[in-house]
Amino acid sequence: MSTDRPSNLIKHPGQTSIASLENISDFSLNITDCAQVVVPEEVFFTVAAAGILENLLILIAVIRNKNLHLPMYFFICSLAISDMLGSLYKTLENIFIILCKMGYLTRHGDFEKKLDDAMDSMFILSLLGSIFSLLAIAADRYITIFYALRYHNIMTLRRALVILAIIWAFCAGSSIAIALFSYEAATVIPFTILFPLMMCFILCLYVHMFLLARSHAKKIASLPSSTVHHRTNMKGAITLTIFLGVFLCCWAPFVLHILLARFCPHNPYCACYMSIFHVNGTLIMCNAIINPMIFAFRSPELRSTFKKMFYCSRSSCNW
Amino acid sequence: MSSLRLISNRTSQQALSNSDYTWDYEYYEYGPVSFEGLKAHKYSIVIGFWVGLAVFVIFMFFVLTLLTKTGAPHQDNAELSEKRFRMNSFVADFGRPLESERVFSHQMAEESQSLFHFCINELDHMNKAKESQKGPSLDSNTHFQEVSKSSGVFEEDLHRLTKFNIPNFVNTDKLVMQSSHWILD
Repeated sequence: MSTDRPSNLIKHPGQTSIASLENISDFSLNITDCAQVVVPEEVFFTVAAAGILENLLILIAVIRNKNLHLPMYFFICSLAISDMLGSLYKTLENIFIILCKMGYLTRHGDFEKKLDDAMDSMFILSLLGSIFSLLAIAADRYITIFYALRYHNIMTLRRALVILAIIWAFCAGSSIAIALFSYEAATVIPFTILFPLMMCFILCLYVHMFLLARSHAKKIASLPSSTVHHRTNMKGAITLTIFLGVFLCCWAPFVLHILLARFCPHNPYCACYMSIFHVNGTLIMCNAIINPMIFAFRSPELRSTFKKMFYCSRSSCNW
Repeated sequence: MSSLRLISNRTSQQALSNSDYTWDYEYYEYGPVSFEGLKAHKYSIVIGFWVGLAVFVIFMFFVLTLLTKTGAPHQDNAELSEKRFRMNSFVADFGRPLESERVFSHQMAEESQSLFHFCINELDHMNKAKESQKGPSLDSNTHFQEVSKSSGVFEEDLHRLTKFNIPNFVNTDKLVMQSSHWILD
C-alpha cells in the first residue's frame, strides 16, 4: 500500500458518504470531539433528484426547440450536463452502497473497485466540466457584447461544438488522470490552483462587460427612462454578485477540503473542518439546482419553451 | 490504489438515519487526531472560512454598486438628446418584425434599449477605428431607411454600420436581445 495515507481522502473525495468518525472510537476517544456531520439520506436523494430533473428539462427544451440551437444555449447545455453528472454520481454512489449492503455486490471484487474508480472519475469530470462550461458561457457573452456585429462570424455553431468537444475531452482525460494518480501532490496542487484562477478570469470578464453596460447606460441617461437604467445597473450588480457568489460558496468549501486533506490531515483544526464533508457535498449538489435558475431560466426564449412543453403536453403542439 | 471496505456490522455511537452501513478507509487506521491543548475554538477554520467568504462576496457587491454610482451622467444638449430619441424610435420600429414571432412582445422596451446599447457600442468602435469599408448594398426594409434619414448626425454612421454588415445585423438583433437578458433583466 502506498505510505501516503492522507491521499486516500483525495482518492475518494465523494465516497465518505456515510463514513463516521465514530468508528475510530475503537482506537481512541479523542476523535469524538469533532463528530462527523451527517446529512440525512432523504435530503441527499431529494437534492440529487431535483438537480437531475431540472437539468434534464433544460436539455430536452434546447433539443426540441429549433430556435435554441445557438452557441450560447449549447454552452448552457454543457453546464447542465456537468451538473447532472455531479448529482448522478451522488445518486449512484448511494445506490451502490445500498446494493453492497443488501449483498448483491461483493465487497472486495475487482468489479467494485473499477466501479469505484469510474465514479470518482465522474465526480471530477463533473467538477471540471462545470468550471469550463462557466468559462465558456462567460467568454461567449463577452464576445456577444464586445464584438456584436461580428459574433456570427467568430462563434459559428461548428466552432462552438468543436470548443465543447475539446473542453470535454480535456476534462475526461484530466479526471481519469487525477483519479488514477490522486496520491501525487502534483495532481492536487494544479487542481486547487485551477479553481481560483478560473474564478478570477471569469470575474474579470464579467466586470469588463458590466463596465461597458454601465457606460452605455450613462450615455442614454438623458432619456426620460433614466430611472429605469439606474435600476437596471443595480440589477446588473446583483446578477453578477449572484453568479460569482453561488459559484464560490458551492465549490470553495470542497476545494479547501481537498487541500486540507492533502496537507494537514492530522491537525485537529483541519480534522474539524473535514468533518463537515457531507455538507460540502450537498452544497455541490445544490449548485446543480441553482445553476439552471441563474443561467438557463433567465432566458425568455427558454422560459417560453418550458411553458409550451407543459401546457402543450395534453394537446399536440407543433414545434 | 487504495481499496475500500464495506463494513456493515460496525456499531457506531452516532445514529445513522436508515441504515447502519459505512464505508471504511485505511486512513481511519493510522493514528487518531489529538484534540487536547487547542488554543482556539476547534471549528475555527470552518468559521473563519465562511466569514471570509461572506465578507468577500459582500465586498464584491459593494464594489459593483459603487461602480454604478460613480461618475456624473453624460451631459447631453437638447439636440443630441433629440437625435438619441430618434435613434430609440428607430430601434423600436426595427424591432417590430420580430413581434410576429411572439416571443419578445412583452419585453420590447428593454430589448430595444439593449439593442440601442450595442448599436452605440458598435458606433463607438466604428468612430474609433475610422473604417471606411464598403460592404454589400443596403438591402433592409425601406422603413429603416426612412427613419435613419430623418436623424441628423447618426445617419452617416448608421449607414456605414448597416452597409458594413447588414445581413448579420438582422440576426444580431435577435442575438443581442437573447444575450442581453442576463444583465439587463
